[in-house]
Amino acid sequence: MSTTEKRNVMEKIREGFTYFEGGCGTILQAVGLKPGELPETWNLTHGDVIEKMHSDYIKAGANILKTNTFGGNILKFPADDPEMPLDVIIASAVSHARNAIENMEKDPSVGKDHFVALDIGPLGHLLKPLGDMEFERAYEIFKATVDSGMKAGVDLILVETMTDIYESKAAVLAAKESGLPVVLTTAYDESHKLLTGADPCTVVAVAEGLGVDCIGVNCSLGPDQMMEIVDGLVKYASVPVVVNPNAGLPRTENGRIIFDVKPEDFAEAMVKIASKGARVLGGCCGTTPSHIAAMIDSVKEMTPLPLTEKNDTFITSYTRSVRFGGKPILIGERINPTGKKRFKQALREHDIDHILQVGMDEQDNHADVLDVNVGLPEIDEVAMMCEVVSELQAITDLPLQIDTTDPIAMEKALRLYNGKPMINSVNGKEEVMEQVFPLAAKYGGLVVALTIDEEGIPKTAEGRLDIAKKIYARAAEYGIKKKDIIIDPLAMSISAEPDSALVTLEALKRIHDELGGLTSLGVSNISFGLPCREIVNSIFFTQAMNNGLSAAIMNPASTEMMKAYYAFCALNMQDENCMSFIGFAEEYKAAEDEKAARLAVGGGAATGEKKSPVKKSSLYESIEDERKLPLVDCIVKGMKDRAGVLTEELLNEGMDSLEIIDGALIPALDIVGRGFEKKTMFLPQLLMSAESASAAFAVIRGTLKKSGDEGKIKGRIILATVKGDIHDIGKNIVKVLLENYGYEVIDLGKDVAPELIVETAIAEDIKLVGLSALMTTTVPSMEETIKQLQKEKTGTLVMVGGAVMTQEYADMIGADHYSKDAMGSVRYAEKVFEVS
Amino acid sequence: MEHPVLIYIPAVDELEIRVQEVTRYLGYGGNPAEGEDLKLIEKKIAEVKKIMAPKACYARYSFENDEENSMLTFPYGETKSEVLSRHLSGCSEVFIFAATIGAVFDRSLQRTRFLSMSETAVMQAVGAAAVEAVCDSVNGMLEQKAAEESKYLRARFSPGYGDFELENQRGIFSVLNPAKNVGITLMDTMIMAPEKSVTAVIGISDKPGRNGYET
Repeated sequence: MSTTEKRNVMEKIREGFTYFEGGCGTILQAVGLKPGELPETWNLTHGDVIEKMHSDYIKAGANILKTNTFGGNILKFPADDPEMPLDVIIASAVSHARNAIENMEKDPSVGKDHFVALDIGPLGHLLKPLGDMEFERAYEIFKATVDSGMKAGVDLILVETMTDIYESKAAVLAAKESGLPVVLTTAYDESHKLLTGADPCTVVAVAEGLGVDCIGVNCSLGPDQMMEIVDGLVKYASVPVVVNPNAGLPRTENGRIIFDVKPEDFAEAMVKIASKGARVLGGCCGTTPSHIAAMIDSVKEMTPLPLTEKNDTFITSYTRSVRFGGKPILIGERINPTGKKRFKQALREHDIDHILQVGMDEQDNHADVLDVNVGLPEIDEVAMMCEVVSELQAITDLPLQIDTTDPIAMEKALRLYNGKPMINSVNGKEEVMEQVFPLAAKYGGLVVALTIDEEGIPKTAEGRLDIAKKIYARAAEYGIKKKDIIIDPLAMSISAEPDSALVTLEALKRIHDELGGLTSLGVSNISFGLPCREIVNSIFFTQAMNNGLSAAIMNPASTEMMKAYYAFCALNMQDENCMSFIGFAEEYKAAEDEKAARLAVGGGAATGEKKSPVKKSSLYESIEDERKLPLVDCIVKGMKDRAGVLTEELLNEGMDSLEIIDGALIPALDIVGRGFEKKTMFLPQLLMSAESASAAFAVIRGTLKKSGDEGKIKGRIILATVKGDIHDIGKNIVKVLLENYGYEVIDLGKDVAPELIVETAIAEDIKLVGLSALMTTTVPSMEETIKQLQKEKTGTLVMVGGAVMTQEYADMIGADHYSKDAMGSVRYAEKVFEVS
Repeated sequence: MEHPVLIYIPAVDELEIRVQEVTRYLGYGGNPAEGEDLKLIEKKIAEVKKIMAPKACYARYSFENDEENSMLTFPYGETKSEVLSRHLSGCSEVFIFAATIGAVFDRSLQRTRFLSMSETAVMQAVGAAAVEAVCDSVNGMLEQKAAEESKYLRARFSPGYGDFELENQRGIFSVLNPAKNVGITLMDTMIMAPEKSVTAVIGISDKPGRNGYET
């Protein structure tokens, strides 16, 4: 137990240099730890070795001992293990450190400043969506280790060698609940990033948001390769920086492991690191008590750089940061059902792909951040918010803004979010601040604060500033810094309140100038009720930026808004060499040219020269109508942009849509399908043709919709990748083809439980189910699905496919059909639904 | 004898992702890619080269091979495999390695699905060819090491080939610790994450031998 006269470890660190122990694993290997043997077992089997190691490090001058519990978690040491339960492993590890301290401190010359850090390493699993571990499961595992450490009595918690920011978040959340100081050190690779992509700035932003007491770097690299990482950490961190490098890289020499950085060289490098501003120093793999002693000897006479508060505001995704306070930040507003029929329908029908597509489009249109609002009274917003946030983070590296008024949805989304998000929103109402600020304090985030309170929205700029000040003050009581609040002084429609734009602009300017605060606006509200809103919005946007606006919630697909944005940044010296503007101008011109080309097609003019005569290849002998040849050729060759244009042309020439489908699209798909089966054409071509046909269908569907006939569906099919299997490319290929051939696909996704497949098959009365599996290890789960289907919905046909599938396997597990490739599924569907 | 796990990071520029390898994964069966296909494959190779972060870790171990009973004893335990036992005949040591192109590829692949399935399918194949290229580079480096001792390597052999059971992944992960060293993790289904990762065993022999094997 820590004695009362002893200082808290954070007091010690704030006072001056503090030293961690060096390596442990390499020391144990040198005295006989075998490959594959768990080092933590040595706490029980070789306690004397562990205690001696700690004593040697104390002798060398280390203050903070790292318990030998790097892999001490319930995955390796289940709580109910009869021989080595987690509690026992951790208690013995802590007692070795305590004993070493007690014995060594008997010598008055070693001093009293020694602390025991519960050492927690990564779990060896990647979290979903990259891997198979749920975030909450990771949290629980870390929590069990933290609880054992608390029982044994430690002084601080060291979460170390983390290579993923998401796993770090799970560990830090669990560690913070102990109430003890928490230190996070992560391992960067030679590109100065974590293995899952985060750079030092991103790691600092996320870790400080979660409330770590120190942030740092350890392992992987030698001290000389860490210099730039240390620069990044001290540049952005307000908390003390920890540096525990390896003694270089390991190599073998006559069968022995050698680390190539010797104690004196290590010490020299650590002096440089200390002079950059790191103040907690130690070592990792390959470092020994001699390294630590040499380091302390060289550093101890130096004065550490003072700790300084950093005032830059960042939000992050799992891999990158967005800085506020410089160039205005664009927050895409399209993931929001308000006033969007199609989006509402997607929410009701659980069409996640549509929602993701909206986000992808915003990213393509250069949004910096995506607002996520999925609230609709008739759906489960909590579940939907969690799903959309995780799915979006699986495909985009843009940071998100969590936008909800449901406190449970807010908390769950903040917890699950991988990075430091924006939180939308809080306002001057006491009740709302009491709800949102504790969440922001626990999980971190940049909080959008609306200048409205119990009295409503003040009519004057002065009144809005007062609310802003009140919000800053209340936030500070929760430990939330001003830099993590962004004030939204609210844009109201000028058609209702004539002076509304002027008041908002004044408030913006004064929040910026007088309060030194960040600001954000939902810009388009300003024109509500007016015609040609984009014109008003874009001018107001320019005015707002000119008055110091830090971020706008807007539609990045609005050309007028983007014109204003790029021109403003170029004029305002926020676009080096006008490169962003030039990039935008190129895209803009290309879009204008395309529009002109389409208009030309629409008018039926000037297209003659583009029509190059198609070679009358034997492939096309079934096509009798020459006018259709260019379109057929274009689909066969997989030129999807042109396919749409040519279809429009045929329609304009007066050709009937069904005639185009039956006389050009279907024959073209058949040519490729047969080519694929005969192995004269291959998968990319098959898919490119399918996509070209889709582009053509999309044009035709537009006209069919007008005439009220949306085309017939040949049959409805469920597709799923079975439980345990997270790879879904094969399934998605089949989906594209089946849809092209006129089937409706109910896509249940990947890692799908048999029960859900059965349930859906019953509810939707499905005749044909397609299952895919990648690994032999997931074939049993395919078999289980088939078994359940046969029992619960007799007569359902099942086709299977996937990398490991064979006819033999398929027969063994009772499938009705084995598709060796994507066309195989189409052909089987034709048979099942009796399509000729 | 100590068995340190060493890390090897090949330079992306020196890796060759071959179109032929990509088309093999795409089922071209020896036919060349042409026209739009080829353009797409080349585009995706360039993209993958930009986002891949090749890494490998490896260690050298002695092992026992009871050829009569096809029992192999690796540092992580015993395993039975007729094919591998035959393949490693005459070797007394092995290199075991784990290699990957990194996790960024996985997310990028997921994102590509929203762009187009043809690009996704090609990218998937390019990823597979890319990790093969990383393995080739590891192989080349180990071959050089072996040559310095006048030793020869057998072709690399991965869990899941022939009767060398996938379950061996657990043992390989326990000795190499690829999660910590290069960021490769093993899921309960024995699938690795990041997706484009490979583990393999390479026999070290005093004599040159047949490089191939039959599963």
